[in-house]
Order: sequence, then structure tokens, then C-alpha cells
Amino acid sequence: MRVVLIGYGPVGSRFVDEMLPSVRDGSVELTVIGAETTDAYNRVLVAELAVGHTDLESIIVADRGGAAASGVRVLTGTTAVAIDTAAAQVVLDTGERVGYDRLVLATGARANIPTLDGVAKPQRDLTHLEKYGPALVGRDDDLPTGITVLRDLADAERIARTVRAGGRIVVLGAGVLGLELALAATQAGAQACVVHHGDIPMPRNLDRGGGRVLQAALRRAGVSVVEHSRAEAVSFHEHETGDRSFDALITADGKQIRGDLLVLSCGVGARTELATLAGLQTAAGIVVDADLRSWSDPAISAIGDCAHVVPRTAEAAELAVLPGAPTGLIGSGWRQAAWLAAQLRAEAAGLLADPAAPAERDALVMLKAEGIDVVAIGDVSAEPWDPQYADDLDDPRGPQRVAQWADPENGSYAKLITRSGVLTAFVCVGMPRTAAELTLLYERGAELPADRSVLLRFDGPDYTPALDSDVFAPGATVCWCNGVTVAHIADSAACGNTTVACIGKDTRAGTGCGGCKGRIADLLVHLEATGGTTSAAV
Amino acid sequence: MPALPVAATPTHCPYCALQCAMTLTPASAPALGPTTVPAPDAVPAVPVVEGRAFPTNRGGLCTKGWTSPTLLGSPDRITAPLIRGADGAFREAGWDEALDLVADRLRETRRLHGADAVGVFGGGGLTNEKAYLLGKFARLALGTSRIDYNGRFCMSSAAAAGTRAFGIDRGLPFPVEHLDAAETVLLLGTNVAETMPPFIGHLTGAQAAGGLIVVDPRRTATVRLTEDGQGMHVQPTPGSDLVLLLGLIHIVIAERLWDEAYVAERTTGFSELRRSVSVWWPERVASETGVPVPQLREVARRLASGRGTYILTGRGVEQHVDGTDTATAAINLSLLLGLPGSRHSGYGTLTGQGNGQGGREHGQKADQLPGYRKIADPEARRHVAAVWGVDPAIIPGPGLPAVQLLQSLGQPDGIRAFLVHGSNVVVSAPNAARVAAGLAALDFLVVCDFFLSETAALADVVLPVTQWAEEEGTITSLEGRVLRRRRAVSAPPGVRDELWVLHELADRLDAPSTFHTDPEAVFEELRLASEGGIADYSGIDYALLDAGEAAFWPYPRGSVGTPRLFAQSFGHPDGLARIVAVAPTPPAEPLNVDGGLTLITGRLLEHYQSGAQTRRVPELAAAQPHARLQLHPATAARLGIDDDAVVEVVNGRGIVRCRARLSVDIRPDTVFLPFHFPADESANVLTLDAVDPISGMPEFKKSAVLVRPVLETVDARATLEVAL
Repeated sequence: MRVVLIGYGPVGSRFVDEMLPSVRDGSVELTVIGAETTDAYNRVLVAELAVGHTDLESIIVADRGGAAASGVRVLTGTTAVAIDTAAAQVVLDTGERVGYDRLVLATGARANIPTLDGVAKPQRDLTHLEKYGPALVGRDDDLPTGITVLRDLADAERIARTVRAGGRIVVLGAGVLGLELALAATQAGAQACVVHHGDIPMPRNLDRGGGRVLQAALRRAGVSVVEHSRAEAVSFHEHETGDRSFDALITADGKQIRGDLLVLSCGVGARTELATLAGLQTAAGIVVDADLRSWSDPAISAIGDCAHVVPRTAEAAELAVLPGAPTGLIGSGWRQAAWLAAQLRAEAAGLLADPAAPAERDALVMLKAEGIDVVAIGDVSAEPWDPQYADDLDDPRGPQRVAQWADPENGSYAKLITRSGVLTAFVCVGMPRTAAELTLLYERGAELPADRSVLLRFDGPDYTPALDSDVFAPGATVCWCNGVTVAHIADSAACGNTTVACIGKDTRAGTGCGGCKGRIADLLVHLEATGGTTSAAV
Repeated sequence: MPALPVAATPTHCPYCALQCAMTLTPASAPALGPTTVPAPDAVPAVPVVEGRAFPTNRGGLCTKGWTSPTLLGSPDRITAPLIRGADGAFREAGWDEALDLVADRLRETRRLHGADAVGVFGGGGLTNEKAYLLGKFARLALGTSRIDYNGRFCMSSAAAAGTRAFGIDRGLPFPVEHLDAAETVLLLGTNVAETMPPFIGHLTGAQAAGGLIVVDPRRTATVRLTEDGQGMHVQPTPGSDLVLLLGLIHIVIAERLWDEAYVAERTTGFSELRRSVSVWWPERVASETGVPVPQLREVARRLASGRGTYILTGRGVEQHVDGTDTATAAINLSLLLGLPGSRHSGYGTLTGQGNGQGGREHGQKADQLPGYRKIADPEARRHVAAVWGVDPAIIPGPGLPAVQLLQSLGQPDGIRAFLVHGSNVVVSAPNAARVAAGLAALDFLVVCDFFLSETAALADVVLPVTQWAEEEGTITSLEGRVLRRRRAVSAPPGVRDELWVLHELADRLDAPSTFHTDPEAVFEELRLASEGGIADYSGIDYALLDAGEAAFWPYPRGSVGTPRLFAQSFGHPDGLARIVAVAPTPPAEPLNVDGGLTLITGRLLEHYQSGAQTRRVPELAAAQPHARLQLHPATAARLGIDDDAVVEVVNGRGIVRCRARLSVDIRPDTVFLPFHFPADESANVLTLDAVDPISGMPEFKKSAVLVRPVLETVDARATLEVAL
């Protein structure tokens, strides 16, 4: 079976890894077409690369050499310019045509360019694509000097130069990526200013309470935040050479926010132009069924950021706007890659594959920043005192309930939204262990304890039982090696054993590793002082 | 047999791999010193035990060690061979009758079903001499490849990982007391404060430096040693250890905390490792383990903080279907940090059973010949065959690892007759109900033991053998030091040494070669057989050990042994350590779904392994008479379970019925059972017999279970009484 993969990013590379057994046994002939010449890297860590918190070698995920050695035909630095669905061939920029039985698109996404006076924004609808053709396919947009997005290594290098120089970075957009960059750049010694038009940062993921706590945390971390500000234009330095470079971001209310570099962090859009040109249906991405096959051509599948999964039903086919969008998260892309590869391996081997497609889930968002912990998933807009609506009460999963904890002064906030005790959404700020535990509970669909405050205590200094706080409690263990408690020693002391050696002889306390001899001595002093009583009797 | 000593006999504890030094003094002799503690429940005839100064235990013993002489006077002792009669009951028999019967049945089984229809199961508690001779007996007297041992359930994952990485598997490649000077010790999945208590004396340096880090889903006695600024408790959800380690490796690389020069000069495989962990950034790791990112970073930074860092793994991270890869990840982390082979740091695995180290070196493993040689290696076969004086061709090839061996009991083309030595498989093996069914399906079961263990109770013939203080031999401790076990009392009449039993059976089966009955003679042969192998004992003899020499293997003839391994090079031909990139695999069964909990198993201070010995020590049995299920109060509240209520722990493999112990010392998604108890309280009826593809280690440490309260109606109570 001939399988062709277009896109050798982190999701494409995972797909290749999963296909290797079939490549090695000869049942699949796999060709990989990737535009970038660098090995696929983990894009999640590009912000850290930009601020020098990691290096390129440490974020590489693909094993190109290994894949090639296993028999994969790897064509990097090569762009696919068209898909000839009738002939089942991919057309490369070299003119070569590569035939396929199954084509997998993992073309990913590119950063959105917002509408700003002074920044050109190319269109990639069918009309433009047919007019300009391959020039727009698989390419990123050229931006003026001093303005960048944060998506690939060239972007990271542009940012790194400013960070190394200790310059000032203006970040437009308060999504996760923008905030991570601003925080990391500040930590690395640059200045960062986040400009956004909303009331709170991460508005797509957080509610007002979580947003406020995060906002305060950002300021404490030294990031300046300009909210309620819609960016309208950029102004430029005009250099004597005739070149020009970014000077300031201008907002609708007239603010001019100056900086050495403007980073546009306004979300991503699927790279669908190849699919569009090939006549495949696209919406927020290439429209694929639950089994990841294109609605338009069953020989073609899409995975990762370019795939818009919509189960194909008669009702869905009638909709003007299809629901959902690519999650933009690497985790779902990897799940799709692994599942699709398993399908294709089975198909190539003539076996029945697991029919259950990976479930599409809400996107779990974790802010990667040292000292600031934010985790959120699902729609967290509900409030504890919201009225209950009839349709909600009729939900088969039970009515929605909301529990909340807020301590703005100390920077902690949590909101848990449940149905029948099971988390359906949550936000957690400033409580790292609680956030990690809530994530596990969410992933498992486990029922929360009826006393939700148990979950908040994980980060508390008292997450230890009361028994221990009192080393003289009768049940407290003194000698671990011999399982001797305070009560045993008190009894022994009452029988006249008043030295550590006598206690050891009588109870064996202190006759193992010997580490508790000091505690035995303390206890004997305490017993002497209290007339032989242990704590519970005092 | 030499005359019994009338004065003190220096020997070592019968239980765990720390092998605490002790002195046994005949009860009639005067006590030796002021710290002598008599065992309170001891029958007068048993000797008095005293802790003996030694680098590992420094004169200390735990409650198990102090009470160990009680076993020598136990009324439960089997003192004559037992043969099951036609009525299904045991009757006492003479040795000749029993041995003739065993030999006849084994010969008959071999004639009817082939040599591989006879199986042998050994134990990590057997002396080096017994383990060696048992392997030889299986291969030469029985001609079977089907031999393995309970160490498969214990050390196999760490052993496979150590061999893969270093080319040598010695649990601790350094003396225990070298830990004293360490400022940071990372303990992964081990509760030493309960399982080998005197060991914690070697952690005080790290505690004082604030650097004892314990990874455990429970807040165990060992975790408590980290409190008050002495270290840190990392509490991941069960089964996420490998991801946790990959996350630590990721941070160590991203933050450039690794030792570049060491990695370049002493290892291979780094670039693969770096690529493999690039997908395990801290936040992702937090979301899969429950360990918060700040703590992950703190651990990574602490491990890289400088002098004196040790990483030690235990069964908690090794007893999984990905146990070899998890131990490998711990090794990778230690190699990145430049620990193994340095003067002040290292990696090790904490061997569990008394002779868990020596027991895995001398041929009772399915794929192994003495000296840690591979049975499939023609050169190894030639060497051992020459020592045995046989044609290499008659030595069978590799057999089946323990779980598969047990699964083949009574199956078509499987084992028809089975010999069990020093192991209580119906309590200690995973999916115990299946094991019991397998034993029941056998044509013939022979068990060598000193008590009527739950496994012995199912046998056709039980052969009573000597206990530790009644025999001579050697044990190799967790640090790879060969120790002398010495005879302090005489065995009851009617009890025989296993070496003699093997000799007698070999004789009746017309086995080639010789089967010595004298332990020293067997050791002399073991020396030759191990010579040139990985675990080379050729330079060690009883005289050297009796002179008090600290003999750490490899100890080739003419050398002075090797207290600290890897200083110059690792065990692979090129001298380099192998960094092997590993990745997590899905669990063997889905966990924490539909209100289910994850069961983990482990040990209590008072009991040892299947409890066959410690449950017979009245003081220990009184302290911990029954299994209790540890669970979090929030979980208990959800399930309607009160403290001390009777509960059932259930899955598709079985049911455990016991009382609940509510405790905030465990994660709310996890429950814990000790595995020392039989019948209705046997934790291993719930565990999985899925195995690690590399080591054959079963999945002991994460089983999906449901927990439910048992309504204590009159009927239920009656049922419980019957059941307990």
C-alpha cells in the first residue's frame, strides 16, 4: 500500500514513527513530504527556544535518519503544490508526481495575521489561490521588519535576538502562547508588554475570577498588560537606508505602544490551501469524518491542526457553519496520528482495525511558565449562583453544579463545574498540585469527593494528618524498625525503664537503625515532665 | 557435619537482602552483652539473637530480625516427609519412601510427556549453593529447560535494565555505607523504613542535607523521613513513574543540568534519548502524573546540585509491565547526571529477598547458567559443561520465565510435575487463583519447605528442609557482598538439607556429574562454574569469608574483589554505558474508569513476603494479624465505607474481603493492600499476570479494582467468620 504524508511536523513525525513496523515489513511504502529542512520539532516549546530556555536539539522530535533507514522515503525541503485527486497523485514543486493509495495531510496551521494598518494580510480563499497558485501554498507570510509571529524557528530566532539584547517586546494577544512568551522573555531579562482588547487574559479559557488572578500574577511577574485596547495599526521607523522597521503599535483609543519587536499572537488557522485547491471541503480546517477521512475524498485523511473533525451526518451536511474547530493542541494531534497509523497498518496487513476513533475532547490548556500555574478546560463561564434552566436540569448527565474557591490576595483560584459529581470543566490558578490532580480526575471522568475542599488541600501546608503534628501522641511511631509507639515506651517507662538503653532492651525501640534514639530521649524527658502521660491524656 | 557451636555463632538474618549481621547464642549460654534482647515469645530451646556490628546494620535489627529465632522452635514445623494418601490427607513417611516416590513420578512424567513436562520453581531465599545446585539438578538430573524462580517477581526488571545499560547487574554497585555521605538520595517506589528498616540509618546524611526525595503514591514510613525540611515527597498516581522520569530527564536536558563531559566520554545513545523526551515537557508530565511542575523542577535541580547523589529504585516502579523501561529511565537520568561510576554518586536497585542477588546469578533463572552466564551462549555452555563434566549438548536451552511457567501448569504440552523450593506461589504469584488452578491441574506437586505453607498444603509430597540457622552456606546481599550463613542449632530429626535432597534425587534419577551434599564443596564447584562470568566468584572461598573479608563480586581469582563498580568502565565490551530511549505504553488494563480505583500492593514492617514465616511468629502475627485495605477518607465517604468496616475489593480475577483502614496517607484514587496474607485476604488474587516483554515481570503494582462495603448483617458476618 502506498501511503503519502504531507507535513513532517510533530504530528506528521508521530505518524511516521507509528507506521514504521509496516514500512519495515514491506506492507507499506511511505513517502513523507516536508517543506521545512530542519527535523520536526516540538512546537509547544518554541517560546522557550525563543527566550533561550532550551535549545533546538532538545526539542527535535523526528528521527529522520531512523525513518529513512527503515525504508521511508523522506523528502524534506520539498513542497507539495497540488493534489491531483483524479489521478491520486501529489504534485511536488520539483515537478515530480507521487502516486498514493492513501494520502495523509498533516499540514498544520499558521499564525493568524490580524487586520492592522501597515501589515499586509494575504487571502487564501479559492479565488486568490487560483489566481496566485502555488506561490501561496505551503508558505508563510512575509511580515515587515520588527514584526513577527511565533510559530517556527525563524520566528524564534527573531525573538531571541531581541531577548538577548534585553529589548522590549510588544505581544499582541493574551492567549496562552502570547502570555508564555511574555513571561519567559521577562524572566530572561527582556521587557514584555501584552496588549489585548478584552477584560482578562486568556479570555477563551478563563472566567473572570481566574482571569483576574492571572492578571495580578502577570503584573507581579513584571509583565505589563494593556487591556481593553483594540490594536488598529503599526507605525514604523523610517531608516536612512530606505528600510523601515517596527516602531509602535497603535490602538483604537490612540495609545502608542513602543517596542523593538511586535509579536503577533492572535491564534492560528489551519493550512488548508492544498485541500482547497484540490476541491476538498474545508471549514475551520480540512473537514474530516470521525474516522479522519475527508468528507470529499475517502482516500485522503487529515490529522492535527489542519483537521476539522465533524462526524458526517445528514444533519451536519446541511449546516451552513460546521461546529467545532481544530483544537490546536498537540495531544489531540498525536492521538489522531497514532490512531490513523494503526488503521493504515491494519489495512495494509489485511486485518480489521479498531473501529473506535479517538474521542474529540475539550482542549486542556496549561500555561507554561515558571511560578505561575494556570490550568483550564471546558466552558468555565457558569457561576455558583446562576439560575438552573429547565434544559440543563434535564441533561442526562445531571444538572450542572459549580464550586468555587477564590483567594485573590494570595493568588489562588479554582472553579469546578460538575455534573453528577464528575468534572465537566474547571479552572485552577496558583494551585499547582490541585491543578494536576484535577486534570487526572477530569481525564478519568472520576467522581469528585463530596467534600470538594479535599481537592484544595493538596497544596496546603496541612496536607498531613493531625496525628503527626503531635510527636507525643500515644499512637505516634517512635521506632520504625521495630514498630514501637509512644504508648509502648510510656508503658515501659512506667515500669521503671527510664534510659534509652533500658527502653531499647525492653521494647527494642532504637535497636534497628538507631535513628530514633534522640526521639526516645526527648520522649523520656517529656514523660518525666508530665508525670508519665502522653499527649492524649494531658 | 561439624559439631554444633556451644558459644555464639555469627550469621545473618533469614529475611531481606540487607542481611543484617546477627549472633545466635544457645539459650543455655550466658547472654553476651547489655543490649541482648530475648525474643519474648520464644520457646526456651531457641537461641538468643543479638545484632552484630556490620557496615550495613551497625548492630541493629528490625522487629522481624529480633523475633526470627522463634521460627526455630515453631510448633508448626514439618519434621517428616508428608505424602498425600488416597483419602486426600497427608501422612508422615520415611525419606526413602518419599524420595523413591518423587523419583518414580518424575521419571514417569518425563517418559510419558517429555523432559519439559517437569518444572522447577526456585526462590530468592535459597543460599547460593542451593540455587546453584537446583539449576544444575534441573538441567542434568531432570533434563528440563523449565526452571525459573520467584525472583522473577522481584528483581527481574531492574536486572534486565541494569544488564542492558551497564552490562552488569549488581543491585547496588557500591557498598551500602557509601550512601552515608550523600547529600541527595532519590528513592523511587521503595518503602525501606518498613521493608528493611536498618537501611534508613544510611539516609541520615541526605536527610540532614534536606535531600531525601521519596517517590510513592502513599505517604509511607519512608516518606515521613522527608518531613520537617529533610527532603520531599513526590506523590504520583500509580503507573505514571515512567512519565515522571521522562519529565525529569526533559528538565535536566532543557535546563542544561546534565554532565556533558561524562555523557560524551562514558555513554552512548544520548541523542536518541534527547529526542525521545522532547515530547515530555513539564506541564504535560504534570497532567499525567499529578505531580505539579514546580516540584518536578525542584527535584531535577536538586538531583543535579552536585556532590553525593544516589538514585535508587524499588519494586514500586519495577513491578510493572513497563518495569524494565521504567528502571531504564531511572538509569538514563542517573547517567545524564554522571552518577554511576563516580566516586560519590550512583544508581542502584534495592534487592528484596534475602538472596535475591545471589539467587539471580547462578542458574535458577530460565535463561541462565552460573556466573550470570547466558544459557544460549555456546561459550557459556562449553564452560559450564566442562565444570560439570558433561557434553554441552545435554544442557537444555532457555526455558520459560516464571509467569509463563506457572501459566503452563497442567496445560496441554505444559508442566505435569512440578517441584517448588522456597517459594509460596499461591500467595506470592500474580493472579493467584489461576496459579492455584494450575497447581490443582498437575499430575504431581512436590514442595520443599519447613512449614506447611499455603503452597505446600496443595502438594502431593512435602519434603521438610532446614532453616537458616540450621545450615551452612553463602548469601549475596543487596550490595553484591558474599556473606556466610552459619549453622547455630541442629535441625529437628527428620529434617534434611536441600543439597542432600537434590543429591538423593539425582542419584535415583541416574543424573550425570556429581551432586555434593557439603555446602563448601558445592561452593568450590560454583566458584569454577562462575569463573570468567559476569558474577565471577572464583577468588572467593569459605576461608576468606570466615576470616571476615568484605568480598564484593566480581572477585576473579587473584583479585581483591570489587566494592565499587564502574569506576573505570562499564560492563559492555566497549566500556560504555548504554542510554536506551524508552517510551510509555498503555497500562495492561484501563485504570480509574467507572468509579474504579487503582490497587497497589506492598509490605508491612512485621511481615516478610508471603508471610509463611512471619505469620508463624506470634509477636508479629499479633501486631498485624490481617490484611487491611488502606484508602483515603474522601474515597471512603463516596463509597459509604467507615474506618474498620468490612469491604470487598473486587475485579474480574477475584475478591479480597478484609477491613478498611482510612488514611489520608494515600492518594484518593489509590488503595493499598499488603500481600502477606492468604485465602480471602490474598492481594494477589487481584493482581495481573500480564508481563513485561523484556523481563517477564508481572504487573503487581497497578490493578483496576472496585471497592464496596459489605453490609454487616448477621448473614454477612457469619460468612466473614467462615471466610477469615
